[in-house]
Order: sequence, then C-alpha cells, then structure tokens
Amino acid sequence: MKKLMSRVLFVIAGTVFGVILSRSGAADFDFIQSMFLFEDIQLYGILAVAVAVAMPGLWLLKRGNRSVTGEPLKYKTRVLHRGTVVGGILFGVGWAMTGMCPGPIIVNLGEGKWVACGALVGALLGAYTMGRLYPSLRRPLDLPPID
Amino acid sequence: MTLILNDMTPWHWAVGGAAIGVFVVVLQFVANRSFGISTGFESLCALGSRAVYFQRKALHGPIRWRLWFFMGLLLGGVLSAVTSGGWSPSWELGRFDEWISASPWVKTAWMVAGGFLIGFGTRLAGGCTSGHGIFGVATLQKASFVAVASFMAAGILAANLFYRLGGAG
Repeated sequence: MKKLMSRVLFVIAGTVFGVILSRSGAADFDFIQSMFLFEDIQLYGILAVAVAVAMPGLWLLKRGNRSVTGEPLKYKTRVLHRGTVVGGILFGVGWAMTGMCPGPIIVNLGEGKWVACGALVGALLGAYTMGRLYPSLRRPLDLPPID
Repeated sequence: MTLILNDMTPWHWAVGGAAIGVFVVVLQFVANRSFGISTGFESLCALGSRAVYFQRKALHGPIRWRLWFFMGLLLGGVLSAVTSGGWSPSWELGRFDEWISASPWVKTAWMVAGGFLIGFGTRLAGGCTSGHGIFGVATLQKASFVAVASFMAAGILAANLFYRLGGAG
C-alpha cells in the first residue's frame, strides 16, 4: 500500500513538473534555440531563478539533515572525471539538435510532438550504448567503477 | 515569441524558475530524492538489458522512482496541451522548418541522431540540465559546474553553426 502510494505520488510529481516544463518554454524547440543563439532571456532566467531558489532551500535542508519522515537526507554527489567534459559536449550538441534535454523529450511526446519519438529512441540507444561501452571507457576517461 | 504548442505565451521566466526551484527542494525534503532526470534512461534500459552496467545494484534500488516520474512527465505534456486549446499531434518544428523544410523521415533521423548524443552524453557526464545544471550547481558541486560549462558551450556552438553559419536567419 505504501509502495503504491509513493508510486502514485511520483506520477503526480512528474505531471506537475511536466506542466511546468511545457508552459515555461523549457520544452519548446524555438525557445531552446533562442537561448543558444542569445536572442531571448527566457531559458537563462528560468535556470538562474531555479538555482537561486533551490540553493538556499537545499542548504537549509542539509543543515537540518532530516526529511519529512525524519530520516537523514540522501544527497546525490557527483564525481568529476574526463567523461564529465566529453559527455557534456556530446549532450550539448544533442540538445541543440533536438531542442530537448531529457525531461522535455518525454514532455514533448505527451504534447503530441511526433519528433520526440525519434529523440526518445535515440536517447535510449545512446544510454544503452554508453552502458555497454562503460567497461572499455573506464580507463581512458578515468571513470569510477561500476557499483 | 510564443510556444510551438498551441501558440501560447509562456509563463514569465521568474514563475517557471521559481516553480522548478521549489519542486527540487520539495522532492528532496518529502521524497528524499535528489533531482535529476537522465538516470531514468538507464532505469528504462535496465528493464531490458542484462549488461553488467544495467544490472548494478544501485540501478535497482530507490532510484527507480524515475520510471513513475516519466509517466507523469508524459501525462503533464498531455494535460498542458489539452488545457490550452487541445491535443493535436503534429510534426511542426518551428525554426527547424524555416531552416530546412524536411520530411517527417528526415526529422526523425535528425532526432534519433541528436537523441543518441543526449542519451550517451548525459549518462557519460553523469547528469543533464536537471541533475547537473540545477541540483548540482545549487549544491555547489564542482563536477556540475564543469558539466554545465561543457554542454552550454557545445550547444551554443552547435546552434550557431546550424542557424547562423548554416544559412537560416
């Protein structure tokens, strides 16, 4: 029952977030291009305000170190390696090509933009290929071991 | 400028940004999950692949929440369309259509190629706009600053190459 509840809550959370992305322009091909072409402030404004709101909020949470149920907070930490740069560059080109980052691919699909089907297939193929190549990329790119 | 979806005027950026910021904090406090979306691609791959990378323990633990979250993102897109003038699927692609008037097949091939770079790149970099760009930067993680600099620089270069040097106004 508790498991079902949390699943439903995650679906609701996704729906809320999907609407935010859809209505703010973060899932819009033209707004993404105008960000990369420095023609419009919309997406830079969104990112800056999101960080400005999240930063003090997460800092306060970290200080209290308790979630709503009282358990210690589990924060994801991110490791810097050569793959951060190489992967970042590949992602940036893909983002400019499709006008979508990962969340908006799914949102665009929901909005009824057929082009997002191709982007989703590509993204899954890309993630799959990365996973398959991970063992051989580990040494040249200095990646952490598979946990 | 209006959205491609139903020609809507988007929310003010401060509203969209604040909503995302609050969402990230609530997700951490209520669900105890750190915001980040692209790991969900791995959770999807893990449903069908027995490769060592996708069978690692971490991928089968609490991070599977994204599978449910993805369903929500899909519903959110539908809801946004339905409540703003209707859900009418199309191949429309704004500026891209002005640049190259391409058939659905060509667009799909372009999208699969771009999508591949997104899937491969985000998983190699360990995150995307959400995990690195928002969560990672908001928690002052060095890897995230490097990732953001890398993908923004590459995106700016690529878009300028396509739409400025590539001949579209």
